[in-house]
Amino acid sequence: MQRFLTSIAKHPIPVFALVALISVLAFMQMKENTRMETDLDEYMPKDHPAFIYSDEAEEWFDIKDGIIIAVENVEGIYNPGTLGKVKDLTKKLQAMDAIERGDVTSLSNADNITGSEDGLDVRAFFRKVPQEVDKLEDLEARVNANAMIQDRLVSSDGKVTLIVARINDGAFSQEFYKEIVDLSSGYEGPEKIHVAGRPIVEGTMALLGPKDMKKMVPIVLLLIVIVLMFVLRSLKGTLLTLMVVALSTLWTFGLMAAFGIPIYAVTTMIPVMLIAIGVADGIHIYNHLKLARVQHPEFSKQEAVVDLIHNMWKPVTMTSVTTGIGFISLLTSQVYPIKYFGLFTAFGVMVAMILSLVLIPTGTLAFGMPAALRARGKSSFAGASSKFAEAVLKHRRAIFISTLILIALLGSGITKVWINSSFLEKFEKDSDIVLTDAFINEHFGGTSTLNVILESEIDDAFKDPALLALVDEMQVRSEELAEVGNSFGLTDYLKQINKVMNADDPAYDAIPESQDLVAQYLLLYEMSGDPETLWETVDYGFKRSNVMLQLKGDDSKTINKAIDIVESYRSQFKNLGVDVNYAGSGYKSLIFTDLILKGQISSLILSLVIVIVLLSLMFKRLIAGFIGAIPIVITAIVNFGVMGLLGIPLSTTTALISSIAIGVGIDYAVHFIDRYRINAALTGDLHATVKETMHHSGSAILFNAMVVMAGFLVLLFSAFPPNRALGALVSFNMFTSLVGTVTIMLVVMVQTRLYFKKSNADRLSSAGTISTPQKEAAND
Amino acid sequence: MTKFNILAIGLLVVLTTPLAAEELTALELVEKVYNRPDGEDMQSDLKMSLVNSRGDARVREIRQLSKDFGTDEKKIMFFQAPADVRNTSFMNWTYGEAGKSDDQWIFLPALKKVKRISSDSKGDYFMGSDFTYDDLGDRHPASDTHKVTGREEIDGEPCTIVESVSIEEDYIYSKTLSWIADEKWIVLKKEFYDEDDELLKILTVEEHSEIDGYWTVTHSEMQNLQRDHTTIMILENIKLDQGVPDNKFTERIMARGL
Repeated sequence: MQRFLTSIAKHPIPVFALVALISVLAFMQMKENTRMETDLDEYMPKDHPAFIYSDEAEEWFDIKDGIIIAVENVEGIYNPGTLGKVKDLTKKLQAMDAIERGDVTSLSNADNITGSEDGLDVRAFFRKVPQEVDKLEDLEARVNANAMIQDRLVSSDGKVTLIVARINDGAFSQEFYKEIVDLSSGYEGPEKIHVAGRPIVEGTMALLGPKDMKKMVPIVLLLIVIVLMFVLRSLKGTLLTLMVVALSTLWTFGLMAAFGIPIYAVTTMIPVMLIAIGVADGIHIYNHLKLARVQHPEFSKQEAVVDLIHNMWKPVTMTSVTTGIGFISLLTSQVYPIKYFGLFTAFGVMVAMILSLVLIPTGTLAFGMPAALRARGKSSFAGASSKFAEAVLKHRRAIFISTLILIALLGSGITKVWINSSFLEKFEKDSDIVLTDAFINEHFGGTSTLNVILESEIDDAFKDPALLALVDEMQVRSEELAEVGNSFGLTDYLKQINKVMNADDPAYDAIPESQDLVAQYLLLYEMSGDPETLWETVDYGFKRSNVMLQLKGDDSKTINKAIDIVESYRSQFKNLGVDVNYAGSGYKSLIFTDLILKGQISSLILSLVIVIVLLSLMFKRLIAGFIGAIPIVITAIVNFGVMGLLGIPLSTTTALISSIAIGVGIDYAVHFIDRYRINAALTGDLHATVKETMHHSGSAILFNAMVVMAGFLVLLFSAFPPNRALGALVSFNMFTSLVGTVTIMLVVMVQTRLYFKKSNADRLSSAGTISTPQKEAAND
Repeated sequence: MTKFNILAIGLLVVLTTPLAAEELTALELVEKVYNRPDGEDMQSDLKMSLVNSRGDARVREIRQLSKDFGTDEKKIMFFQAPADVRNTSFMNWTYGEAGKSDDQWIFLPALKKVKRISSDSKGDYFMGSDFTYDDLGDRHPASDTHKVTGREEIDGEPCTIVESVSIEEDYIYSKTLSWIADEKWIVLKKEFYDEDDELLKILTVEEHSEIDGYWTVTHSEMQNLQRDHTTIMILENIKLDQGVPDNKFTERIMARGL
């Protein structure tokens, strides 16, 4: 390997030509085939039973996500201007390709079910927009009298009315989103138009995601240039390292495009990751070059490169492989975007490794050594690291105990970690989208829907008054929750018809008393109007029914509260032979986040096991593998503890933390143990080994951690709160790993006499006593 | 168009027969269909199947009676199946006078009451099917402007294709295309286009036969392409000109049964 790398370094022209060729190919692929995935359904695993069921139910009842356009007029909506706008908007939406004509509902086309002495009357609230005061007042009275419209399409204060447009599956696109926003903004004044609903939330996210990254990448690049200039003190070195990370990002996205894999929200974070992580190799390589120059001023360019490759290819490979494993472990996730994120970030890390080992030596030979690197503040750092090493050795017991206390304290926080499936909470609290959602939730039932799917084996089960009464009771009970604005189902049709057929007598606002009456009312309703919406609540055989609960939020807590109420009726439904299930996008998100949590645990365990095995092999001691894992285990505990205690939820974004923390955090342990072993073999003295290791490895680790922390802290500029949380947490984890490596891990190494013979146990304090170096350590 | 004009055109048609199909104007063709003799009264069993996109079907069996009263028509229907709507009855009076809405009543045995049904327009769907009242043959020729667009054979029957566009704006169809069979004057196929001028529904006549001397459609299917929904109507035990008494079309009969 070493020979191969050395010979490559001597042929700069083919090397640069090949790198340039691959880069051009990657760029062309990226330009042609890159597309952003905006349909969140595509993020979910399609073969999961809950998703299969939900997809089926969505087809049974034509369940679709809806765009909600709220038309607000503080003077009240009952005037020709506002009503005209509602009618106009409704027609324009109906004419759109992504929307079926029948899927737009507003006051201008909703059916009003009323009764008269003669019979049932189902007709639109108005055909032509009413102009005269008495007609407008009459309209208002009719709306107020209809429980199926009041609070659902028109707010109780009469100032806001909704237009709900259900959009076809997969029809959502950036263009469509823009069309909707442009269309609705054209109707502003004096009315205010608010646009909300899940497709809009998803659309905004898909729009903001790449924008956010476009903002983030230059910042992280600039920051890395500054840090590199500071650390390397060389323009050449900075440019070569920058080229490494830029090309690794380009190649990664090129490969992704070549495989036709779209960009998901989570994969937009890959550039920041690769830039922050990829520079570590360059820093280590240049750090060695600098040290070698100080130690061997006589080295020629060629000798320096040979020495560099000889010394660095192993640690660079090792740290990159462990980082890669952290990301590869994400393949255990059932969620494809996360799988892809892991796979391609790992690929990018490998590319950065190869390019670092190829381009930097080749570049050094071709363009000369970086400008004289002066060792800065070496003595002061040596002094500080020495003092720190002394302190660690002296307070071993205190470090051990305080680590245990820390684990115990934060460990309790882990149980408080909650998963959030909310897409809305990915936005700023004061963003338009969150404010609009709050506005609609305040005036109406809710912007999110939970579909409760009831199934029986028996034909006409949902004409049985006993079963219908139980469904109604469940609806009433769930509406008592503050989180459930209202509910809608077959029962609402039956109660409304029953009431109007009995002269609006409130006593008849109930389920009809016999199956025949239920069936005849429904026949009557079918004869009287357009019954299509009825079939969104029940199937033709009346064996299945869909009850829609309107929720005030799309977060897991809200959905679970509603589910708890439904579940409390499960046994009663079972007694009537009815099975309870759930469907809809809100529920799918809930299951989705559950999968993310499960994937999180499995990928955490997997990466831990692989890392322990690799470390054991590399350091030829099983115990070394376990000791090396100490900092990352502590990091994981501290991370989830802090998340639990601070109430930071696990989401699709923050789920990536542990993999990053393990993959990147293990590097410090690798460097530290490696140096410790060499020093132990060289000096045979524990005290000297600790001091030397702290001095040598300490600086490299510190620089490494600083760069990664700085890189991830850039995410604090993100428009998405979860991305900011991710940046802060990863930086914090790097810090924990760093501290854990140089304190508790060191303490355990010392206590277990790693790389020292047992006989030295009682001579720890007596510095200067020479112990026998380990043979295999010396050989390396 | 006034009633007088319609009568005048009708008279004209009668006086100038027999005429070859290609010599008739589009309006005359449509009039031929509208005024095709179909007996003074009719008794039949209607089987109506509603089939949704997944192939689930709801089947209704209806015993029906209809009779012409001059230009008006009265019709009464009794549900036989499904069991929970058995004996539910429905009565419809259609008026020849242009612009006059139908009168409709329903009797619910579970309520033991006759109720009136009022709804917006004849563009409404009939009993949750894919047929509107207009589609069932009530739409007056004077409501549309017509033109001949071509000729085509349907199942070996030479037909003239007539395009009809509503005079009234805001109608549910932007246009319809009718394949009118020569001499029989029945529509063997019809295409309905929605407000965006996209094909919405296709009506196909699967079976027609001459019963008691009148050409009668016995099996038709209406497919709504946009909803992916189909309605199949099959008529059986058809009897024409049996001299159904006038007093069969009352609320009392609705409640009591035939």
